[in-house]
Amino acid sequence: MGLLRYTAGRVVQAIPVLIGITVITFILANLAPGDPVRLMLQGQEVNQEVIARIERQYGLHRPLHERYLTYMGNVLQGDLGHSIHRDRPVTALLAQRAGPTLMLVLSAYAFALATAIPLGIIAATRRNEPTDHVSRIVALIGVSTPSFWIGIVLILIFAIQLGWLPSSGLVYPWRSPDQYGYSGYPELAYQTIRHLLLPMIALGTLQMATLMRVERTQMIESLQGEYVKLARAYGVPERTILRKHAFQVAQLPIITIIGLNLSTALGGAVLTEYVFNINGIGRLFLEAIQSLDYQLIMGITIVIGTMFVVGVIITDISYAYIDPRVTYGEHD
Amino acid sequence: MSSRSDPLLRVENLKTQFFTDAGTVRAVDGISFEVYEGEIVGLVGESGAGKSVASMSLLRLVDSPGQIVDGEITYKGETIFGLEEGPDGDLREREDMLTNEEVRTRIRGNEIAVIFQDPMESLNPVFTVGSQLREFIELNRDLSSDEARREAVDMLREVGIPDPAERYEEYPHQFSGGMRQRVLIAMALACEPNLIIADEPTTALDVTVEGQIIDLVDDLQAKYGTSFIWVTHDMGVVAEICDRVNVMYLGEIVEQAPVDELFYDTKHPYTEALLNSMPRPDRTVAELDPIRGVMPEAINPPAGCRFHPRCPDAREACKRIHPENREVARADGQPHRAACIKHDVFGDEYEESVPLEGRAQETAASATDGGESEGSGVESRSQSGNGSTSKTDWRRGGDDRE
Repeated sequence: MGLLRYTAGRVVQAIPVLIGITVITFILANLAPGDPVRLMLQGQEVNQEVIARIERQYGLHRPLHERYLTYMGNVLQGDLGHSIHRDRPVTALLAQRAGPTLMLVLSAYAFALATAIPLGIIAATRRNEPTDHVSRIVALIGVSTPSFWIGIVLILIFAIQLGWLPSSGLVYPWRSPDQYGYSGYPELAYQTIRHLLLPMIALGTLQMATLMRVERTQMIESLQGEYVKLARAYGVPERTILRKHAFQVAQLPIITIIGLNLSTALGGAVLTEYVFNINGIGRLFLEAIQSLDYQLIMGITIVIGTMFVVGVIITDISYAYIDPRVTYGEHD
Repeated sequence: MSSRSDPLLRVENLKTQFFTDAGTVRAVDGISFEVYEGEIVGLVGESGAGKSVASMSLLRLVDSPGQIVDGEITYKGETIFGLEEGPDGDLREREDMLTNEEVRTRIRGNEIAVIFQDPMESLNPVFTVGSQLREFIELNRDLSSDEARREAVDMLREVGIPDPAERYEEYPHQFSGGMRQRVLIAMALACEPNLIIADEPTTALDVTVEGQIIDLVDDLQAKYGTSFIWVTHDMGVVAEICDRVNVMYLGEIVEQAPVDELFYDTKHPYTEALLNSMPRPDRTVAELDPIRGVMPEAINPPAGCRFHPRCPDAREACKRIHPENREVARADGQPHRAACIKHDVFGDEYEESVPLEGRAQETAASATDGGESEGSGVESRSQSGNGSTSKTDWRRGGDDRE
């Protein structure tokens, strides 16, 4: 009950954030240099009347605030507008591209968590020993290297030099094996993983590095806690202290970091998709910006913004679920 | 407590040091004391005297870079720590010394349990109080999960937590400080140890709660007969609960006596200074007399007697002679030990020596009062005059436990 009300409260709080996102993007997109109609005509010489007609067709002649309100009215009805250049509804374009991006981002997080948590714990328990120093250097490189560069290097090594893994595109496990000409589902699964491996690592490295450092710090702090001292004094084995007593407390901030890093992960996905030639939302976004496709830019921003806000809400809720000290906005 | 058989715990010449970049910190520097069955032994001193390190050493739980470097700890005939000289002349761990695993499984929790200072931090915030109790009980007693649970609820009731079955399911943040300390006491007792180390268990609590907790421990101690090592800086608490007291200063025990002897026949100037620095129900003074200066760091202790830079009675000889703890009196067949060369057993160097500069007046005054009576300085400050006070005045509610 409390959790339900808490969730509802968080959703309500997210509404102003989402409105803010749409206002800012709408203004920025319209302030950007370049005229969409001229871009659409691709340099063909036409008279003023034609331009005015196209503008009227898309409502571009009306003042900004009116256009915004109309747009938002449509958004609330699930209509994100119509892409001028692609001549298709934005929602259809997004639906088509969402799968690959989600697959990429989720796998990158899975990779980051699966590596960062054990490595962070190892670094914490071997504090200031060589293992810890190596992990610190790896983390520093991971944090300071852009995902597209890692992607390019991975392609150079594993795709071009060694030829072990494909360098572009993804295989989608939700399609039928026949579409790819594979023998069956085992091959489909195998190919899915083979294609996903490099982009996943490219995008996940930054997350891994950040999470590993946080995990290390949290574990060190947690291991110095009085409750750990107490557990030791009662003869709890060190293994149990590490896995249970210290670990549980240390994971709380990790959850926050995952939620907040969703923005960098989605930003990184744009470049990763570009490097690995993946037809996801990120690539669509880049193309939309290059062609000043306002409706598409707006649509994608709203979707990514919403994904981020939802991510943060999920973080908050899971935090409240895991940490008993977080009360759902009620009395203690 | 009158029958002096073998002590439950014997600590001899224990030294625990911390090896830091700035040098070796001699946190515990050769202390010896015993704990007998059923008694409450105080370990008193200012912050930094080495009380907590000493008590953690007993469980071999000294945090890095700390290490027990010398001495012997014997518990019920088992060697928790002990060194011997190896064939090459180096000290090495004795063969009969318990291994880390043995200390963990046989000593910690089930033989010696602890109660820490900060009840707010001692419980793990993400587990229920009950599950933490149950875990420690299961670990230290041969009970099934269900039995441990029942035991935990019973213990919570025993320490005065209302609705123990419901509270069992709650998290530490739902308990007040005093209630959490009760939980920690329940935890210690539920493991059925023979010795409980209480490391400043009431320091973080307010005074009314402190009183309740002390009364609770007193009752439970009488009921279960558990021995306690009570670590504190508060002489009032010592007076109320302890049977025998060890006063620590800079890693050393400077005075060791049964509680009444310590208060009414104080033999060490540091103990006396501690007593003068706190309000007492049996004496009315115009102003409290704080101890001058601060305790030096254990990394570089003063030469001679470690207390001499702050001691009102210090003489020139105190700068040279580092006194060990010697028996200076006997009370009820129990030794009263003090590490101060004022006493005759240390020879006459003190008498022949001149008072240190700046302290001439005070020492001269007490000297004219008649050399041996250290209590005179205290009494001269007391306005009640003759200083004849009944022993029970010290204890809240005139405790008759003897």
